[in-house]
Amino acid sequence: MKIVVCVKQVPATTAEKRYTADLRLDRAASESVINPLDEYAIEQALRLQEAGAVETVVYLSMGPESAAEALRRALAMGGEEAYQVTDDALAGADQWATARVLAAALGKLAPDVALMGMSSDDARGSLVPGAVAAIRGLPLLSYAAELMLTGSTARIRRLTASGFDVLEAPLPVVASVTDQVGEPRYASLKGIMAARRKSLETWNLADLGLSAHDVHGAALTRVVEVRPPETKAPTERVENLGPAEAASRIADWLAARKLI
Amino acid sequence: MNNDICFLAEFDGGSPARSALELAAGAAGLAAESGGAAVGLAYGAGAAAGAASLGAAGAARVVVLSDTDGPAISLAAAAAATIGDDAPLAFLAPATPNGRDLAAALMGLLGLPALGPVRAVRIEGGRVRAEQSTLQGTVITVSESMADAPQPVIILALSGTFTPLEGGGGAASVSTAPSSDAGALGAARIVESHPADAAVANLEEAAVIIAGGRGVGSAAGFEPLNELAAVLDGAVGASRAAADAGWVPYQLQIGQTGKVVKPALYVGCGISGAIQHRVGMQTAENVVAINKDPDAPIGEFADLFVVGDLFAIVPELTAEIRRRKGIPS
Repeated sequence: MKIVVCVKQVPATTAEKRYTADLRLDRAASESVINPLDEYAIEQALRLQEAGAVETVVYLSMGPESAAEALRRALAMGGEEAYQVTDDALAGADQWATARVLAAALGKLAPDVALMGMSSDDARGSLVPGAVAAIRGLPLLSYAAELMLTGSTARIRRLTASGFDVLEAPLPVVASVTDQVGEPRYASLKGIMAARRKSLETWNLADLGLSAHDVHGAALTRVVEVRPPETKAPTERVENLGPAEAASRIADWLAARKLI
Repeated sequence: MNNDICFLAEFDGGSPARSALELAAGAAGLAAESGGAAVGLAYGAGAAAGAASLGAAGAARVVVLSDTDGPAISLAAAAAATIGDDAPLAFLAPATPNGRDLAAALMGLLGLPALGPVRAVRIEGGRVRAEQSTLQGTVITVSESMADAPQPVIILALSGTFTPLEGGGGAASVSTAPSSDAGALGAARIVESHPADAAVANLEEAAVIIAGGRGVGSAAGFEPLNELAAVLDGAVGASRAAADAGWVPYQLQIGQTGKVVKPALYVGCGISGAIQHRVGMQTAENVVAINKDPDAPIGEFADLFVVGDLFAIVPELTAEIRRRKGIPS
């Protein structure tokens, strides 16, 4: 049983972001981390491996050359090997192009489970898992709070509006996880050392049998404007009041806005 | 190609979900600008019987994709067959798990451009432009599909992006989607369903949300929040810390991996305001925070920040609102 975990490098929450002249995020200029939601996918894969349900955990990432760092960090958490798809023709890739490329790479790696985080932390896109499933012609098990593998079947537990459902599909599948699968582990020093010796292979578009034309110049969409969010009115602070007075102030504030 | 605006209409418990009413209104508004029609694609139990009623919500026509509950991604082939030949201008999908999966599969199957999750959509010079809050709310981007990209552009809309119409027109004309083979996308099935013992509030539809965080301290600590929510006809929500601790069910979690809410009033009690929580509530119209830590990050973006003990202030606030509303305690 082989799992390929797809990971995306994203700017750290705290990083200062810069944009290129054509309104793309300058990913090379921003301090980067593994997409925090992808870390849960890594954790789920490694837990299945520790439980003996999976033999091999492989990582796959598409991004600039510097995104290799995210794969090294993933390898430091565990797993066997990593593949990076990097190509100048993929700069500014949108969700469709990303799905197209990952689907092609997954075609080469042929895992039993292609596992992803439920969304990315930067643009909060969430369409890649479903699109990869559609392109590859595989079942999708999405928003898993837990992934279980038995024989030739994958099952997930997924929270619903009032409880949870169990969904099932025959392998191979594409699956995505939420942050309920369990806290991601930290890489140990030993893990970091070991990661340096693990295989990290780089592919370009041609290695996947794709051309820039196949990915429509990396995007079907484009950003036409980038601006800071609207500035809001400053916060009104209430301090050093007794509970009754504070409550009265809040009630006045709500009444002034016709909220009570 | 035409100028129609399609939208996904989820049915939930036999009636249109809030998202269906919002997207119907959004599609109607955009269609009026583009010179097309608002066309609903309905799915879920009750969709067949309720499809015509979406006319009052803004739809001119409704195509029923399915009349049963189940993973919506299995309807991707039917949706593709429905829109395929007509190529409408835009395709609105709700940013719910089912809406996202179905939209994603359509993007993959038909090679369509997709934008979102967005918080505003407009038509400029015949082109659809969508506004998105990215990088944890630090940047607003406006995007469109490439001029030579195929139609429709898929737009994933957060709840609250559009406001449902009130007292709109008559019935929509209803048809059924052509039968199509779901293929592998239909292979994922729900094999067990475990509803909770007690009903859980639908936060996405609540006008008032009283949210509790780490500072609430325990499941019992949520009781004063429940009482405040009751006098305001609101619902109780939580931060991830409170849900992780097991004080409330995960269904009440607001934030990046929980619900994204847009109430008229949000009151955060004992919530620090970490970025992961903030992205789930930053579009609330009015934000009140009660926290004993004067340096809590929520104090940076709340409209009203009260520094103090929530266990002292919240019961007083409940009593005060009862007095003002004339509700006996």
